[in-house]
Amino acid sequence: MAMSRLAPLAAAAALLAWASPAPAQTVVKIGAALSMTGPAAAYGAQQKAGIQAAVDQINKSGELKGVKLEAVIEDDASTKEQGIAVFQRLINKDKVVAIIGPTLSNTATATDPLAQMAGVPVVAVSNTAPKGITDIGDWIWRVSLTEGQVIPGALKAAQAKLGFKTAGVLYGNDDAFTQAGYSVMKSALEAMGVKTVGTQTFAKPDRDYSAQLTALLGQKPDILVVSALVENASGIVAQARQLGYTGPILGGNGFNSPALIANAGKAAEGVLVGTAWNKVSTEKANQDYVALMKARGHEPDQFCTQAYVGVQVVADAMRLSGQHTRAGVKAGFLKVKDLPTPLGKFSFLPSRDGDHAPAVQVVKDGKFQIMQ
Amino acid sequence: MMEGLADLYATYQSTLAYIGLNGLLALSIYTSLSCGQLALGNAGFAAIGAYAAALLTMNAGAPFPLALAAAAVVPALVAIPLGLPVLRLKGIFLAIATIGFGEVVRIGLVNWDYVNGAQGLVAIPQKASVGLIWIVLAAATLLLWRLRGSKWGFALEAIRQDEPAARTMGIDTASYKLAMLMLGAALAGLAGGLEAHFTFMVAPNGFGFSRVVDMLVFAVVGGIASVWGPLFGASFLTVLPEAMRDLAPLLGIEPGPLRMLVNGLILLAVILFLPQGLVSLGARWRERRAARARRAA
Repeated sequence: MAMSRLAPLAAAAALLAWASPAPAQTVVKIGAALSMTGPAAAYGAQQKAGIQAAVDQINKSGELKGVKLEAVIEDDASTKEQGIAVFQRLINKDKVVAIIGPTLSNTATATDPLAQMAGVPVVAVSNTAPKGITDIGDWIWRVSLTEGQVIPGALKAAQAKLGFKTAGVLYGNDDAFTQAGYSVMKSALEAMGVKTVGTQTFAKPDRDYSAQLTALLGQKPDILVVSALVENASGIVAQARQLGYTGPILGGNGFNSPALIANAGKAAEGVLVGTAWNKVSTEKANQDYVALMKARGHEPDQFCTQAYVGVQVVADAMRLSGQHTRAGVKAGFLKVKDLPTPLGKFSFLPSRDGDHAPAVQVVKDGKFQIMQ
Repeated sequence: MMEGLADLYATYQSTLAYIGLNGLLALSIYTSLSCGQLALGNAGFAAIGAYAAALLTMNAGAPFPLALAAAAVVPALVAIPLGLPVLRLKGIFLAIATIGFGEVVRIGLVNWDYVNGAQGLVAIPQKASVGLIWIVLAAATLLLWRLRGSKWGFALEAIRQDEPAARTMGIDTASYKLAMLMLGAALAGLAGGLEAHFTFMVAPNGFGFSRVVDMLVFAVVGGIASVWGPLFGASFLTVLPEAMRDLAPLLGIEPGPLRMLVNGLILLAVILFLPQGLVSLGARWRERRAARARRAA
């Protein structure tokens, strides 16, 4: 009785096994520690979409002969505790050849030393803190541009166009990311000879910035430079406009989100922000990527694109070294040169940080547009 | 086989460490709760311990045992000037004042450039092992467990049940309460110092209000009638999110947001149906069985 019930199942299983292609392919796992829940969940969702798109694309293209990539994506809940747990799982249980992530720089300073000790290559795709990430060791690499690579360029491009001489600076001082952004803004403004007429701070839970903005605007700065997460950024922009400020506002990477325009509405017009991804770039790699994401029904942002490139870089390293092992990926990273990616031609700097050209966006007609 | 075991240990090493760290933090809340004080400054104490220890090993080149001693002593000393005024408050007012203290510590660290503000201290040498964390936890458990049957323990129980009555019995309630606040601060500080030397980094945002809520939830879910409750609660709630990673695919749940939902549901069920905490489950079952046996007789 039991046998006869199982027989069709067994037959179906046999049929399936026969129908699927010969298992000559080696499955190679790439791990990802992403913040799918918690405060950074919005970034994690974009990164997940980018990683899956890249893995599917590379498997379909067959550029890695005999290798099938598999993404093992785990949620770190935006916390260091779970980030560490995820890294140890990916390293010891899933035995991945490389790890993409983690989403937050703060988490990375706790997790990346584990990968360094175990000898597992890490590709940071959204860590922007200038110091303390790739410094951890020779297994830690980075695709994302640091604030130090994006903000000075954005400020210079903006000055060439707008010719400002004085700046008012506002930043969130209770967040690792916005604080790091501020340090970069400060030194960049000094290097350009722009006079900082006032510096004000706020905290993440704050929703009213009128006191700080009034103090800053009283000094009549030519430009307002702001380092804030997107949840604060829209409020700051809207309130600055309400206080009658009509001049330019330049934001850090936190401004780099469609949510800014959605929340601040008309007030966001004229806001400038540096970006790692020039989404209207006409290079073939970018056009193909935009088309691919459109076909998958996903609206990509910078974080999605950087995660996509993270997988691309790992795959290219395997191709270049001819090995799909941890050491092979690391050896391949040294050879990655001018790889065509949606971010532009990609290479690593000797510091293991990513190197490609950033762009400057301006909000115009309710959309981010690349400033020419 | 041996290699498999080594991998298994390496995979869950941090979970084991966090069971120990969270156990210590749950005990630190339990010390004040055991004499009826809802003191919620322990995230602040943990931060002071973590920063004190990390600064000592990184900037002063102090040996790790000394740094760990400082992680316990410094918060305990800070607890004295804090405790003298705030322990005059009761119930929710004490809770609010001590939460305020925790926030002051966090915001102080955020604005202190010497410790890198919000970016925190990074590249701290890893000196604490899982074994050491568990030894410290075992010592703390033994201390609190021995306290219970002692003269001290009876005094604390008296204060918890009725403070004015305890005072009229000649118990120096203020000193006992302050001593327990200091002990709790020392345990939280130890957890902080160990965590800093296990996870390579500390940042102020790791010691916010939500951290102290976590500690309180460990204690309440486990049960605060004995020292075992907070330990059990901390272990259970630390293992749960990690276990869900393995269980979620088997249950056909998408890992991620739903994982946290299941976590929350279990929490809610415990609070609603087991107000004495998870450790009361055994007693409940025994009662039920006894009642059924009586009916049958």
